[in-house]
Amino acid sequence: MAAVQICEAEKVYIMHGVRDDLRVDGRGCEDYRHMEIETDVVSNTDGSARVKMGYTDILVGIKAEIGKPRPMVPDEGYLEFFVDCSANATPEFEGRGGEELGSEISSTLYKVFSNRNSLDMKALCIAPGEHCWVLYVDVLLLQCDGNLLDATSVAIKAALFSTRIPKVHISEDEEGTKELELSDDPYDCMRLEVEDVPCIVTLCKIGHRHVVDATLQEKACSMASLLISVTRKGTVTCIRKVGGGSLDPESIFEMTETGKRVGKALHAPLMKLLQEEEMLGKKKQKVGFLG
Amino acid sequence: MLKTKTFVKKTRSGRVMKVVREHYLRDDIWCGSELCAECGQETSVLQRDAYRESSLCASPHYIIPDTNVVLRQIDILEDPVINNVIILQTVLQEVRHRSAPVYKRIKDVIHNASKHFYTFTNEHHRETFIEREQGESANDRNDRAIRMAAKWYSEHLKKVPNAEDLRIILLTDDKENREKAKACGLTAYKFEEYIKSLTANPELMDRLALDTNDVSEISSGKILFPEHLPLSRIQAGIKSGTFLQGVFHASRDNYLEATVFVQSDKEDTTEASIILIQGLQNLNRAMHQDTVAVELLPRHLWVSPSSVVLVDEGPKGDSDEDEEEQKITKCDGSQLTLKSTGKVVGIIKRNWRPFCGMLSQSEIKEATRHLFTPADRRIPRIRIETRQASALVGQRIVVAIDGWPKNSRYPNGHFVRNLGSAGDKETETEVLLLEHDVPHQPFSQAVFGFLPKMPWAITEEDMKNRIDLRNLCVCSVDPPGCTDIDDALHCQELENGNLEVGVHIADVSHFIQPGNALDQEAASRGTTVYLCEKRIDMVPELLSSNLCSLRCNVDRLAFSCIWEMNHNAEIISMRFTKSVINSKASLTYAEAQLRIDDANMNDDITKSLRGLNTLAKILKKRRVENGALTLSSPEVRFHMDSETHDPIDLQTKELKETNSMVEEFMLLANISVAQRIYQEFSECALLRKHPAPPPSNYDILIKAAKSKGCIIYTDSAKALADSLDAAHVGGFPYFNTLLRILATRCMMQAVYFCSGMDNDFHHYGLASPIYTHFTSPIRRYADIIVHRLLAVAIGANCTYPDLMDKHKQAALCNNLNYRHKMAQYAQRASVAFHTQLFFKSQGVLSEEAFVLFVRKNAIIVLIPKFGLEGTVFFENKDKPNPRLAFNEEVPSLTVEGHTFHMFDTVKVTVSLDASNIQHQKIRMALLEPVIPGVSVSPPEPEPEAKRVKLS
Repeated sequence: MAAVQICEAEKVYIMHGVRDDLRVDGRGCEDYRHMEIETDVVSNTDGSARVKMGYTDILVGIKAEIGKPRPMVPDEGYLEFFVDCSANATPEFEGRGGEELGSEISSTLYKVFSNRNSLDMKALCIAPGEHCWVLYVDVLLLQCDGNLLDATSVAIKAALFSTRIPKVHISEDEEGTKELELSDDPYDCMRLEVEDVPCIVTLCKIGHRHVVDATLQEKACSMASLLISVTRKGTVTCIRKVGGGSLDPESIFEMTETGKRVGKALHAPLMKLLQEEEMLGKKKQKVGFLG
Repeated sequence: MLKTKTFVKKTRSGRVMKVVREHYLRDDIWCGSELCAECGQETSVLQRDAYRESSLCASPHYIIPDTNVVLRQIDILEDPVINNVIILQTVLQEVRHRSAPVYKRIKDVIHNASKHFYTFTNEHHRETFIEREQGESANDRNDRAIRMAAKWYSEHLKKVPNAEDLRIILLTDDKENREKAKACGLTAYKFEEYIKSLTANPELMDRLALDTNDVSEISSGKILFPEHLPLSRIQAGIKSGTFLQGVFHASRDNYLEATVFVQSDKEDTTEASIILIQGLQNLNRAMHQDTVAVELLPRHLWVSPSSVVLVDEGPKGDSDEDEEEQKITKCDGSQLTLKSTGKVVGIIKRNWRPFCGMLSQSEIKEATRHLFTPADRRIPRIRIETRQASALVGQRIVVAIDGWPKNSRYPNGHFVRNLGSAGDKETETEVLLLEHDVPHQPFSQAVFGFLPKMPWAITEEDMKNRIDLRNLCVCSVDPPGCTDIDDALHCQELENGNLEVGVHIADVSHFIQPGNALDQEAASRGTTVYLCEKRIDMVPELLSSNLCSLRCNVDRLAFSCIWEMNHNAEIISMRFTKSVINSKASLTYAEAQLRIDDANMNDDITKSLRGLNTLAKILKKRRVENGALTLSSPEVRFHMDSETHDPIDLQTKELKETNSMVEEFMLLANISVAQRIYQEFSECALLRKHPAPPPSNYDILIKAAKSKGCIIYTDSAKALADSLDAAHVGGFPYFNTLLRILATRCMMQAVYFCSGMDNDFHHYGLASPIYTHFTSPIRRYADIIVHRLLAVAIGANCTYPDLMDKHKQAALCNNLNYRHKMAQYAQRASVAFHTQLFFKSQGVLSEEAFVLFVRKNAIIVLIPKFGLEGTVFFENKDKPNPRLAFNEEVPSLTVEGHTFHMFDTVKVTVSLDASNIQHQKIRMALLEPVIPGVSVSPPEPEPEAKRVKLS
């Protein structure tokens, strides 16, 4: 994991700040950094989004492909996650250096999405038991500046929001062989219901308090952190403890409560933003990677 | 500026893919007009004074046609009157996508500078590019793009000083599109409307393609045919096996009957691959050579092919038709002859081309709609609209089909061009070349560019890898009047007592380098086509009749096969080499024969010929012993009047010893070369095979011979050859020839193929395990390829990629086989036409003939004197039908008590039936034996044949 090394004095400075609800960059303990979101940035994908949070920079692309439903749930599609850590982000990722982090993040994402509340998987079914849509979610870490998972979850939600899956209908002939047919109208496509897609809130225990959206420096001061994924309604879909230190039950409870509160507060402006962006339609000024 | 075009598509493996293409827009695309100063164009295509006399628009104007107009009205757009047209890229792309032939034609028009057609790349122009909007179909988007471009043009040209009256006219047959165009201030007309407004050129109106939506007024409104299924359902049906896909072959003799050849790629070949279709409803508007989808009928509705000859006689009441329908369906024979029968449910690909034929003028004088009768009898009549019907009667014209609505008895078409008056020799030749798809346009400048410069002489460079054989006593033997001499021979005694025999073939591949325009043109033509008095060359005349032709007393490049043989014609050694020869004499078969026979002549040439002749006889004997077949077909040769070029006499071809002498050495050379190239290139040698016919083909031959007490064995070529030799009937010398003619009819077609794509190489007719064509490179493209292969094999030349690519070679073979077949048909048609010319001048003749085949309502006879085959019908429309009894087993036909068998001698009258100018035919009528009510009286009064029908 990308980490920085800081000296003892700096640590003390940060910890004292947190104690007084004043962080190095002026935020309170429950404040996120400034976030920049742009959707539809990669034209080859079916949906994409890029999120910048501090210097953390994450690109998510979603490709929809037709696959076979899993035998246990024949009437549902499914998601696949791949996380790629670009060596641009930090030299540690060079070669196979990023693999460990990548698989850690993707396994977390599988956990976050493995429940009935987050996404309507039945909508991804084309023909029960035969064809369904598989959404390949590719996460690319372009730059790391702490709080990767929160940024990733926001980017995934935004990318799912912008995903347009071509409509497919099934024609069946007398003998019962099914044929998939594709509409020739590029606008004829299916959107996903993303209201309930959870966002991840990572809380870092620093001293006796906990902060959200920790920077790398703050992270270095923290012994343990708790990851909570929360839906719009405050439903927690996943909790995970990350880091080497331990947490006492009391603070876990406190942190969960904070996480729920912060998470719920994160959803509403995010959805509003995404909808506003879409309203712009073609007038939207594309920023992309050159802006 | 960069835009992206995004679309989704389904891949073959069933995946869905999103494809994104970059699309660049520019702002420096010229408008192409001479008037415009703004665009800064170097060359302008559209003229300043684009004036055309139109009652709709008095000022100069440019035309913008939409896609459908280009697709349907290309015949008019090609007319010189129509110029200054803007073809939008959108239109061009759509045309390309929808019809390759039209695309090629419009491209040709655009390249023709005098037409002033300008291609405007509106899809890449910043101001005219549009993106597809939500809820808009691809067609609507293209229509909008066309309107956008038209609008841009009119605004762009308005800015030009002193061109205020220049107009842009959008031509579209789509009503909605016209209305939208008018709404945004454009001038838009229907194409028909515009053409009709061209008051100075009324003749264009005839060439208008009819709009399929408008034709309802023509037909009765009654739905005559079942609807064709949409392509998606056809494809699904073919996949599931409910429908079968095949090529539609209309019957030549019966317009209500056709067969569909289904190419089955399944393993089980129990499914019949030929499906019979009977009746108008079942034929369902399919036309000859269309690719169709067929549904099999239930077994109890299966019928057998009728052997009745039925010709569509044009418009008449429905009752008549029903009657005919009944007639064909009632004559179902025994259960055994039932064929799998089906009906056409949809058309996968039309094979419409322009058709040659004649107009049958409508009986109503002022009518503008007339029926057109194509020359090809397998094509139905076509209804066309023309105002110049009276001028077109008796002319050969070309007509293109526009469509065939389900409520119309005939397809609708439009007039394309006039070829000339019917019966005229030039016109008829043109017709038969067009109908047989023989490329006969003059060679293009590009082709001429690759010819050697004259005066031509052999250079040092040419002598590399070549030996000098100019001192040899080489001579050529050919039919009289032959100018493209591609083979020459020599024979001389060696010091060791053996004989050296050489076959020298014109080295055409020296002049034709692979891949250039000359080579491509020759490959596409495939063969030289010999008509009765015309030759359609495969290579330009400079090569065919001069530089490549091995004429006497000039130095010529050759490819030589030289054998050392002993006096028993056993080959001791053999070599191939490129050479230079100087032929000492160009002889005809007759001249060569005279020299051989004349004991007084003892010069080198004569000695050489005698040596060759002796060896040839031994070679032939050996070949026949191996089972080579000697078949026979009656060939005719015309004696032409030197002034009028009309045939004045005809005789069957006579074979001399020298014919077979030359043939024998050519076979030897071909076989030797085939062995050599196959040995060198086992994967890509171009060879020729002649498959053994299936045993059932011989049924008719065996039956026929049996009726005369001869037994024909068909187990092998050898058995067949021997039994044919043994088959003689006392007092009937022509019997053997007749049998051989019949045997010829049983044979399969010989074909070219690539050795890597096949494993059966056997040549049945020649009884040779391997064979190719090497000896006529001037007139056959296959030989050129073989020359190139052999040159590589002996190290005289280097190879090139296409030569070694077996798939490309296989494709080439397909074309060559097709061209050879068509050339053969064209030759036959030419002979038939000249035979008619001959009989036209002869009046009515009576001749002795032999019965060749027996049919249900006719006998087919052969007149040995003319080598002419014809049909004697026993059914006549005007007279009551005689009693006919057909026995399929024998086969025999009993007419009013007289029974005809095969090989019976009869006497017939021969005359030209000119009642149908289009299909003039030789009419034969029975003279002897005399059957009351059936046979005719001897010549002189022959009212039957002279009757001229009005239709």
